[in-house]
Amino acid sequence: MATLSSLLEYYYETMQEALFPLEEERKRIVKKLQTVALFMSVGAVVFFTVLHQQMHFALLQAALLSAMSGFLIFMFVYRHEKAGFTALFKDQVIEKLLYQIDASLLYRKESAIDEEAYRRSELFLEDYDRFEGSDLVSGSIAKVDVRFSFLHTQQKERDSKGRERWDTIFQGLFFCADFNKAFKSKTVVLPDTAERTLGVLGTWFQRMNVARGSLMKLDHAEFEKIFVVYGDDPIESRYILSHALMEKIVLLQRKINRRIYLSFVASRIYIAIAYTKSLFEPILTRSLLEFSYIKEYFQLLNTVIGIVEELKLNEKLWSKR
Amino acid sequence: METFLIVGGALLFIFIVLYNTLISKKNQVDNIFAGLDAVLKKRYDLIPNLVATLKEYMLHEAGTLEKITSLRSQALQPSLNAHEKMALDKELSSALGSLMVTVENYPILKANENFLHLQHTLHEVEEQISAARRAYNQSVTDYNNALEMFPTNVLAGFMRLEKKEVLRIDVAERENVNVKNLFR
Repeated sequence: MATLSSLLEYYYETMQEALFPLEEERKRIVKKLQTVALFMSVGAVVFFTVLHQQMHFALLQAALLSAMSGFLIFMFVYRHEKAGFTALFKDQVIEKLLYQIDASLLYRKESAIDEEAYRRSELFLEDYDRFEGSDLVSGSIAKVDVRFSFLHTQQKERDSKGRERWDTIFQGLFFCADFNKAFKSKTVVLPDTAERTLGVLGTWFQRMNVARGSLMKLDHAEFEKIFVVYGDDPIESRYILSHALMEKIVLLQRKINRRIYLSFVASRIYIAIAYTKSLFEPILTRSLLEFSYIKEYFQLLNTVIGIVEELKLNEKLWSKR
Repeated sequence: METFLIVGGALLFIFIVLYNTLISKKNQVDNIFAGLDAVLKKRYDLIPNLVATLKEYMLHEAGTLEKITSLRSQALQPSLNAHEKMALDKELSSALGSLMVTVENYPILKANENFLHLQHTLHEVEEQISAARRAYNQSVTDYNNALEMFPTNVLAGFMRLEKKEVLRIDVAERENVNVKNLFR
């Protein structure tokens, strides 16, 4: 595990200099985008005048059409430029940060956790129509086999007017690792929204959730407040969720402060941490020469890699050695 | 007549639901107790091997080893009821606990592969026993709640169901096995 001070040293001594060309590239892209935006704005005004004055389009129609055309052309250029820069950013920032934290880990920017692992985790039972992911990190942390990546799963819906809409099922970090105990059953730990908002009635609804298995009431008040647990074997669920582990999960939740989903299936642990944005992607408006910007990516990687130690997944029981 | 049938039907439905709830809670307690019994059995199965291995080295602890062996044979008697079983298990747990503390005085045992394997297996089984006890207590609490809460309490009275006792869980048991300590 790398510390912030070791990163600080690495950043100013080695990394920053290597980032100068990339920073130049970023500035070039931002400048290009500003020029395109300016041209498109002027173009849209000209297009609007032509549509409205010469072709006699209604005011609103002409305005919408010209604004949309300008915007679409801008977005096309933006996406193209951003994709190229993102690939470079991942090679020169994310991969290097990861190497700094743990040199033994493997990073593949275009790969992700496979669909089978996602389905096997049973964390999200909804059928998905789009499965996207990137930034797969895999390897062994303190002798524990670990994989994690960014994932985004979506479902296609139609509203009352028949318009297509993409609803997010899960977006964020998906982590899976070997668990330190052997077990055969399935235990799923989800954020407890029903009980927190609806009280006893919420518990009743949770009990009715037949797709999830039996509701487990656990003997850890703080854990019970934050999570709801389903499982198919009350003894094994408690064997997995020992008091010590529940305590550590509560601490992890407090540290990350996001919605956390956990499942324990076939001697493996799956953790999904929800985010509302893409991770490991650059922000074009921020300079790579700011340490605080690079630090955010470092901290994210460090937190995920730290889960192994945090949950003591490396302290294996006898039958798992 | 129709109203009477509707009310009668609704009452019968409520009766069936309440009856089934009570029976399923009662069976859940029995099921989990059977699970607890199964993991306790796992521990009993380990004891003869453990005692045989330790006998060679721990000549001064013959009394403790004999006590453990005798507690094991008592616990395996089929005529025991749940209370007697749990009392014997508690005694056995504390005897095994103090034995494991004494083991610290025999460094030679730390090099014995067979003993180390048994010790680790025992810790793992103890984790399972602790989980089973917690599961049992939760099922007993659910069952006892049903016996005290309205409207199931009315029916429970007619069915002559009696409250069950939860098992006392020591603070030490609530803690996870510290594997690091095993290798010191």
